[in-house]
Amino acid sequence: MWRLREMQEAFAEGITTGNHQAAADAIRSDGSPLRSVALYRRLIRTNYTQVLRVTYPLLAKLVGEQFFRVCARGYHARYPSTSGDLFAYGRAFPQWLLELDGPRLLVQLARVEWACHEVHQADDVRGPVVEQSDVEAWADPSSVRFRMNPAARLLACAVPIYHVWHALQADTAGGGYDEGAEPSPIPDETGLLVARATGTIQVTGLSPEQFLLLHAMRDGKTVAQVERMAAELIPADQGASLLAMLLDEPTRSAFSLEVTP
Amino acid sequence: MSCSSSSPIPAQAGIGLRSHHFLEILEAPPPVAWMETHPENYFGEGGASLRILERIRSQYPLSFHGVGLSLGSTDPLDRTHLAKLKSVIDRYEPAFVSEHLSWSSVGGRFLNELLPLPYTEESLDHICTRIDDVQTVLQRPILIENVTRYLTWGGSTIPEGAFMAEAVRRTGCGILLDLNNVYVNAVNFHLDPFEFLDEIPSEAVGEIHLAGFDRFGRWVIDTHGEAVSQEVWGLYRWAIHRFGSRPTLIEWDTNMPPLSVLVDQAKQADAILGGCCVATP
Repeated sequence: MWRLREMQEAFAEGITTGNHQAAADAIRSDGSPLRSVALYRRLIRTNYTQVLRVTYPLLAKLVGEQFFRVCARGYHARYPSTSGDLFAYGRAFPQWLLELDGPRLLVQLARVEWACHEVHQADDVRGPVVEQSDVEAWADPSSVRFRMNPAARLLACAVPIYHVWHALQADTAGGGYDEGAEPSPIPDETGLLVARATGTIQVTGLSPEQFLLLHAMRDGKTVAQVERMAAELIPADQGASLLAMLLDEPTRSAFSLEVTP
Repeated sequence: MSCSSSSPIPAQAGIGLRSHHFLEILEAPPPVAWMETHPENYFGEGGASLRILERIRSQYPLSFHGVGLSLGSTDPLDRTHLAKLKSVIDRYEPAFVSEHLSWSSVGGRFLNELLPLPYTEESLDHICTRIDDVQTVLQRPILIENVTRYLTWGGSTIPEGAFMAEAVRRTGCGILLDLNNVYVNAVNFHLDPFEFLDEIPSEAVGEIHLAGFDRFGRWVIDTHGEAVSQEVWGLYRWAIHRFGSRPTLIEWDTNMPPLSVLVDQAKQADAILGGCCVATP
């Protein structure tokens, strides 16, 4: 007689590898174990596909249901679930699309959606946020550092993705895409900032200069260092733009300040 | 309406709380007695969901219905998962905490499906040890739910109802009686649902679940994507007569309808509960 563990292991092995007969042997009933195994395998795959569909709604919309389902099944075979909590399921989906030699646009879109997923449940901000008064009071900019908040991600973009994301997002929200609400073009888009601000997740396209500055801020550079970078990167006639960017949502929500003695 | 930390769940109908309905519920709290949610959805460290649940918790008694503990697995209990569960229980103080009489992982393989156990003496010993362990960590009794199954393990020697009754007797846990699951199993395996229900000790039933199913080929599938069927309403009337009034949840997870549909289903359950004359223990 099989022990409980042997039954569970044989069943899980059969379901995972697609060896229906092995799983059916574990069941050892007089009924229709092969039908049972086929049904469970289908239910399990459907569950995982649904989890990915919820995590990657824009990607699913862009590639269509059938292609998405094929990708999802392949993903499950390559990157099986590793936890009873499905929050982390799908983390490697962008990597999987890359391994499939998928278009870079799809890979990038998947990265943005995973960042949104992580940011959605990330820890709340605990430190002081950037305020106008703080900036004005920085007597010693070399003593103040930026710290990226847990609910923010800075992504480099191999291909411009912001407008694609924006169009899909607006269309998915309902009512179709409004060309009038299309954001201004971002010259040489280089990155994206994904940040949770006032309860919602905002995605912002970044120019090369903005990306470099935010990258420096994320890496813990001091205000003085970032100011010097800004002076080099931003023309003098746009001198106020660094401050404007820092005080603008969602950048403001993405960073807090840390004063070092 | 406000709800203190120790609010018990009344023997009335509640609805499953899903993010799909968050805004609707916050804008116009529906007239239901309580709500139930999956604690795993609140394992994150921050974000709007946690604050929304706090607001809803301040207005309604709450129940936690776990889906990820793999209670019946022969792997060691996932202590990280259990610690997260304890943490959200401490934060939101639900009146009930329930899990499924099932397993979903073994040997590092996660299937994330509520798989049935064989009903044997070995399984019974195993599940009782696990329930004891979980109750010790959580410092409270849990409810265990009967699951749907689409297979029959060879070698099962104990009727499912007797298996659950014995687990209750040995561990002091309660039962979350899912009548849709009872019906689905009865149809798929040509069983008499009343034989199962007759084995369930009345005083152990802490909560009842009602949900809808779909048909797929020869199978009836517990999808939670449809209204409660007439057959399950019939079982419910019988169960309420047999067990007395119990907190009853309308469970809906897929093909989500407007909130008003769930509220209407809850009203139907309340009408049946209101007609019950059996005293609640």
